[in-house]
Amino acid sequence: MKLRNVALLGSAGGLFITVFIINAILKVDVELQMLLYVREGAVALAFLLCYLYVHFQRRDSPKRLVQKIGVVSIWAGGLLAAFLCVSVLPLKGFDTQDLRIIPRDYVTVFFTSLVSIGAGVMAIVTQLLIKEFLLSRRKKGTKRNFYILLAAMLLASLSAADGKPLESSVVSTILFTTSILLIVVNSFRLAWIPYLPRREKVYTLLYSLLAFFIFIGIDILIANQNQIVSRGLLYFSHPLQVFVQLNSLFATVYFGMVFISTLFQLPTAEAFDRKQTEISSLHNLMRLINQVFDFNDLAETVTKMTMEVCQASGAWLEVLPTQNSSQKHGIVSNRNISQEDIAVLIGGGDKSLRQLVLLTKKPVLVDNLMTDRRTRHLPQLKKVGSIVIVPLLTHETVMGILYATKELDFGFDQDDADALSGFADQVAIAIENARLIERSLEKERLQRELMLAQEMQKRLLPQVLPVHPSFVMHAVSSPALEVGGDYYDVADLGNGRYGIVVGDVSGKGVGAAFYMAEAKGVFQALNKIYPSPKEFLIHANTALAGSMDKRSFISLLYAQLDVRTSTLTVARAGHCPMIYVAADRTHFIQPSGIGLGLTGGEVFASTIEEKTVAMHPGDVIVLYTDGVTESRNASGEEFGSERLRLLVESRRESSVEEITEDILQNVWNFTDAQGYDDDLTVFVVKWNGCDGSETAVHIST
Amino acid sequence: MNEFKVTIREQENAHVLDLLGYLDAHTAPVLEEAFQQMIGNGKFRIIVNCRELTYISSAGLGVFMAYIEDVRANRGDIKMSNMSPKVYNIFDLLGFPMLYDIVNDESDAIAKFAALS
Repeated sequence: MKLRNVALLGSAGGLFITVFIINAILKVDVELQMLLYVREGAVALAFLLCYLYVHFQRRDSPKRLVQKIGVVSIWAGGLLAAFLCVSVLPLKGFDTQDLRIIPRDYVTVFFTSLVSIGAGVMAIVTQLLIKEFLLSRRKKGTKRNFYILLAAMLLASLSAADGKPLESSVVSTILFTTSILLIVVNSFRLAWIPYLPRREKVYTLLYSLLAFFIFIGIDILIANQNQIVSRGLLYFSHPLQVFVQLNSLFATVYFGMVFISTLFQLPTAEAFDRKQTEISSLHNLMRLINQVFDFNDLAETVTKMTMEVCQASGAWLEVLPTQNSSQKHGIVSNRNISQEDIAVLIGGGDKSLRQLVLLTKKPVLVDNLMTDRRTRHLPQLKKVGSIVIVPLLTHETVMGILYATKELDFGFDQDDADALSGFADQVAIAIENARLIERSLEKERLQRELMLAQEMQKRLLPQVLPVHPSFVMHAVSSPALEVGGDYYDVADLGNGRYGIVVGDVSGKGVGAAFYMAEAKGVFQALNKIYPSPKEFLIHANTALAGSMDKRSFISLLYAQLDVRTSTLTVARAGHCPMIYVAADRTHFIQPSGIGLGLTGGEVFASTIEEKTVAMHPGDVIVLYTDGVTESRNASGEEFGSERLRLLVESRRESSVEEITEDILQNVWNFTDAQGYDDDLTVFVVKWNGCDGSETAVHIST
Repeated sequence: MNEFKVTIREQENAHVLDLLGYLDAHTAPVLEEAFQQMIGNGKFRIIVNCRELTYISSAGLGVFMAYIEDVRANRGDIKMSNMSPKVYNIFDLLGFPMLYDIVNDESDAIAKFAALS
């Protein structure tokens, strides 16, 4: 980087020295035409290097455009000063002879050469700057127009390479005039001015005026061929003189136009600024809407932006409470105004400004708190002269209120109120989004809890069923929701007896799941104390009565297998009957009995009966919950107990796993794979008969 | 969505709730409200006509249990009538006939209430 700059400047300097030497030689012999061409080539190359240098430098300094006018003005001022210095120095100057310019001494050549190089560099810098202005907010033809101008300038300069300095040719006059026309055309590209903030417009106005006058000065000195500066330039290089002159004119016209345009736009600058702020605030808020995970941050930003939108001195945000949200409400953020002042401003009960906004759902603007009839009764506040209040609306309901205050009376106008209303719409959306996010996070959390509950509930069901030579068991339970109220269990009661229980808590979901867990506790606690199924149910009812809600109950079927006697004893508390598949017939075993939790001790006890059946090898029993029989198809028809009975009858020879799977598959097909809408449990036992070895097995356990 | 509706009418010395449709956990509040209205107005002689009740789930059964104690404590009763065999079977399975007065026809229930007074 550094090396490149040094190389550029070094080469340019070398070339300038060459030019200087050539010019010195030319003083002696003006007729050396070849040398003249070498000189012009050196000048062009030197300035091309200068151009490259400036071009690279420019990219490194990201100054604002407006500041650059100031910088260029200062440089141009310096050049003008140098021009004036050369003019007033007691130099011998130039003679004119046969339309040529001949310096009187080398000192003159030296000084005029220096200012000529300065003028050339200045021309390049100026042109690059103006190009930057032209190309900011450019339109289709902007770049093309500029390059046409540049071409015209270069051609005009080139046309001056041939011929004597003070001679004017037709071609160069035409090219010069064309360039001036193009300068005027290009000078109408002023689209960047309106978008400047007011402050910068003021600077632009001052800088452009300064630049305009400085360049007029330069114009005059260059154009006047009797002046030493003009002659010096012509002597140094005629093409350079043309180029410098055209660029100086370009700068004069352009900065003149900038000045006039800015002058006319100054009165509307403030309004323009305001619109700009509003737009950028809205843009910021749009971005904010996507970052609403932290409600406090959101509230802070809202009040901050409120102040920006209408240049308020104080602002606060009130959010009204809402259902299903733990979001903060009340005054969630206040800026540059104390809670005490807020209390004063929204006080006044039914006739307060706050109530007015809540009622009308429209913005309220108070120009002068002291004299307005709505507020003059309030205690006076030093820091608040005027206030604007806008509601935050979603679906026509007020979800919050945005307040902005100014110290001055008449601080806000209708435009401010409108801008704030527009802003308020965005705020309402942002707050609404924050709530939605909060809710969905909450939902996710509950979902996780439910999954956990599901895992826990699965563990409440037996992980392994007892294995015995006399019987095989298999069971499946599937809740309709994440958790359910179906329950099954098996207990080894000792002496070759096994208790099997299948139950169903009324309702489903989490409520049912709690009672299911309680049922498990009751079963585990009581099954060994009360060996008969009837007694067990009576005591289970008593145990559950105290803790169950009036509306809830548990239906339960308790079947007790006795491998020593090959019998099955069944008692039922309001549950679906048991299906018994014998070799010759399949029937329901339905001893009477009402559900657990429906009524107290005596009545319950009197309804419970016990049935005992003898088991034969190959017999199958099926216990189930009403999720199986009450599953419905699309036309509302129930699966029903008869369909179930026929199904298991036909599967007597199948394994317990196959029977269970068959039942579930049939129910699933029956409901057209709509899913089970109730908890569903199937428990199948197949009796293998006593093979005499059971006693030994039992002893070993 | 399954529909459920309760209409209340006064029939001689009792109030009849005509149930229509599908009574489950989602629709149970409708019946709850009807019972609350009855009890709130001091009407304790209630007949629940189940002629057009197509299904009742365990949550639906729970509604009756929630109010029977209150009603009986006020010397009234909840009697049920005109059940389809299918609906009766659900009540029966749980043992409701042993706890509630379930009659064939609404007029039987009215007669039973009349006999009391």
